[in-house]
Amino acid sequence: MSAPGKTEPTDLVVRARTGDAEAWGDLYREFAPAIFRFCRRAMPTHEDAEDATMEIFMKLRDKLSQFDHTRSFSAWLYKVAANHCWDMLRRRKGRQNKETEDVDDIPLEHPDPNQLERLIEERSNEEVRKALGKLGVRARMALVMRYYSDMSYDEIADALGVRRAFVGVVLLRARHELRQVLGENSALAVGGTR
Amino acid sequence: MSETEMTPNKHLDEMTLLLYVERQLDRERAQEVSLHTQTCTRCMTLLRALDRESRLLTRAMLEQDEPFPARLTEFRMAVKRSMQWIWGLVFGLAVLGVYALYAGYIEPWEKQLDQAGFGSTNLLSLLVFQGAFWKGWQSMFTLFEVLALAVLAGSAAYAFRKYIRRGSALAMVFASLGLLLATMPAASASEFRKGESVSVGKGENIIGDVFITGDHVRVDGTVDGDVFAFGHQLDVAGHVTGDVFCFAQSTRISGRVDGNIRAFTNNITISGDIGRNVLSMNEVLNLDPNGKIGHSLTVFGQTVTLDGKIGRDVVAFFDQITLSGFIGGSLQSKGKSLTISPTAEIDGKTELEGPKPATVSPEAKLASPLQFTKHQPHSDRDRGVGYYIWRLIWTAAFVLLGLVIYGLFPRFAVDTVEAGEHYGAAFGLGVLVTFGLPIAAIIACVTIVGLLLGLSTLFLYVIVFLCTEIVVGTIVGQWLLGRTSDYWPLVARMALGVLLVRIVTSIPFIGFWAILAVVLWGMGAISLAVYRRLQPVVAPNIPSVPAGPVGSPLPPNTTVGGM
Repeated sequence: MSAPGKTEPTDLVVRARTGDAEAWGDLYREFAPAIFRFCRRAMPTHEDAEDATMEIFMKLRDKLSQFDHTRSFSAWLYKVAANHCWDMLRRRKGRQNKETEDVDDIPLEHPDPNQLERLIEERSNEEVRKALGKLGVRARMALVMRYYSDMSYDEIADALGVRRAFVGVVLLRARHELRQVLGENSALAVGGTR
Repeated sequence: MSETEMTPNKHLDEMTLLLYVERQLDRERAQEVSLHTQTCTRCMTLLRALDRESRLLTRAMLEQDEPFPARLTEFRMAVKRSMQWIWGLVFGLAVLGVYALYAGYIEPWEKQLDQAGFGSTNLLSLLVFQGAFWKGWQSMFTLFEVLALAVLAGSAAYAFRKYIRRGSALAMVFASLGLLLATMPAASASEFRKGESVSVGKGENIIGDVFITGDHVRVDGTVDGDVFAFGHQLDVAGHVTGDVFCFAQSTRISGRVDGNIRAFTNNITISGDIGRNVLSMNEVLNLDPNGKIGHSLTVFGQTVTLDGKIGRDVVAFFDQITLSGFIGGSLQSKGKSLTISPTAEIDGKTELEGPKPATVSPEAKLASPLQFTKHQPHSDRDRGVGYYIWRLIWTAAFVLLGLVIYGLFPRFAVDTVEAGEHYGAAFGLGVLVTFGLPIAAIIACVTIVGLLLGLSTLFLYVIVFLCTEIVVGTIVGQWLLGRTSDYWPLVARMALGVLLVRIVTSIPFIGFWAILAVVLWGMGAISLAVYRRLQPVVAPNIPSVPAGPVGSPLPPNTTVGGM
């Protein structure tokens, strides 16, 4: 994953690595809001997201010396964040159920393209966010990694601990799950054909 | 991954189209999909829908829907919580510690007090809770119950820490506590009197408790309840059917008190009739020849003169005591000088622990010979092995305390250590708090409304006082081993630091100044951390709308119909 459109904070990172508190503060202020939003999408509650954000930056501070500055800092940061959130979620009870739901081999229904188009048209950003909160942890995590932080399939596979070839399946299942939640309160029925 | 073979008459499956949208197909397969979608309306529609779905997802996720939490505006170190099993061990050790403390110190002390006629009361309820505001305290709380409740409250706070952070939940906790206190059987504080010179006049009869504050306080009438008196001078010449609690410079009891007297005064003279026990902490205590205490006397004083009659035991800690009166029970005493006059009579055992034997008149009537235990006050020069063993045990106890505190309040603990690294501010505030807070608490105690507040503040002060070595120890540990945010490395630094601090504070002559420095520093650090916590935090320099995670609002790989 690269960081298009964003200047890499190389100087800040270098200074922060040497223990410059001001540089670390700047780095934190620059990236904390985005990381918090990432956590907010990935974690079930606001408090979890706050905790996760704080812990991610603590981890980051400890690991800053390990950062290879030839790579993208923001990419590395999101990788750390994703790993941390996924670890937290995995530790939670009930994960097992959600996980099995996510990875089973039940064939997916082929969506009706027109119905899908209408569903997407009629749903607001807020409705999508609410629906995200109702998804299984793996599905939500996969969607957040892919569509919020633009992580590659390799990075997602690495974070979720699945084979790369399986990432597409996880994402597609996540989308189906999302459509189902979005369509629950709607007259629109997505899917139907095989 | 299921990827269907593409034939002119068969639609592409959704997975293939998604992988195409996501640019995850190899070039050859992507070209096939591209060709197919140019001729197949259905697949093209689905492809577009998938792409729009991707955009919708990205847009929804990137949209700023809530402000950045103020709590996160400043980076705060927190301690990782791992190895949960350790809590079982810590809890076990804590229980063991509580039991050891109880069995080793509190229980014998309770027994002593019990022998002295204090019945089922315990020291804590005796000093703090007994009748002050809630009569029910004494019977409800034993010291063990209080400790158990404290442990329980700490555990509950730890278990529900996430919810406690929410203002509403915190408000609920306080509301519940308030409700609990409100529903306790409250004492009937029927009278409040305040003024320069306040009195309960002769012939006046007050039913219920009376709280009196004034320069000169006088009780000549009858109080059918307890008397709580705060003032410069207190005279009780009337009749009190309950207890008398007095905080005064000078107190004289010449009347009749059916209950107990708890006196915290500079000097007290008892020439009246006390039905039950007297607990007295003061410089001078005189029990006049006419004075009578029905049950026991416990006194912590400098000069004690006992000329009157005491029905049961006497427990005395003093500099100098002269006994000329009658003691119906035993005398257990610890102090520098005990003189037993010819008129004295003791029906029980007589024990003295002190630097020199008592001066006992041969005419004095003692039921058994005086048992003297020579006890020299410890000085820096006569430290034995025991002293160092106890120092070691206390060091371990401090480390254990630190372990528990770091576990219960990880973020606050780290904040405190960080605050302590602002040396000037910490020391300055430390001086202010170390000396100012107890004075403020005592002033609060003297005013009726602030009694509970004052006592709570003093209680808190003692806890903070105990924690100062842990805070300073951690800072010293971090100097030596470097900073860390991990729990166990932090605990290791704390342990090393506490050990070093205690070694330094054990050095003769230097030790006192080192302890003073540690207390001021630690007290200041804790106060500074509390102060910072209480400050409202606004979000400075936080971009109102972050530019998204890493740049463009839409996934750069998303495309329709082409590579």
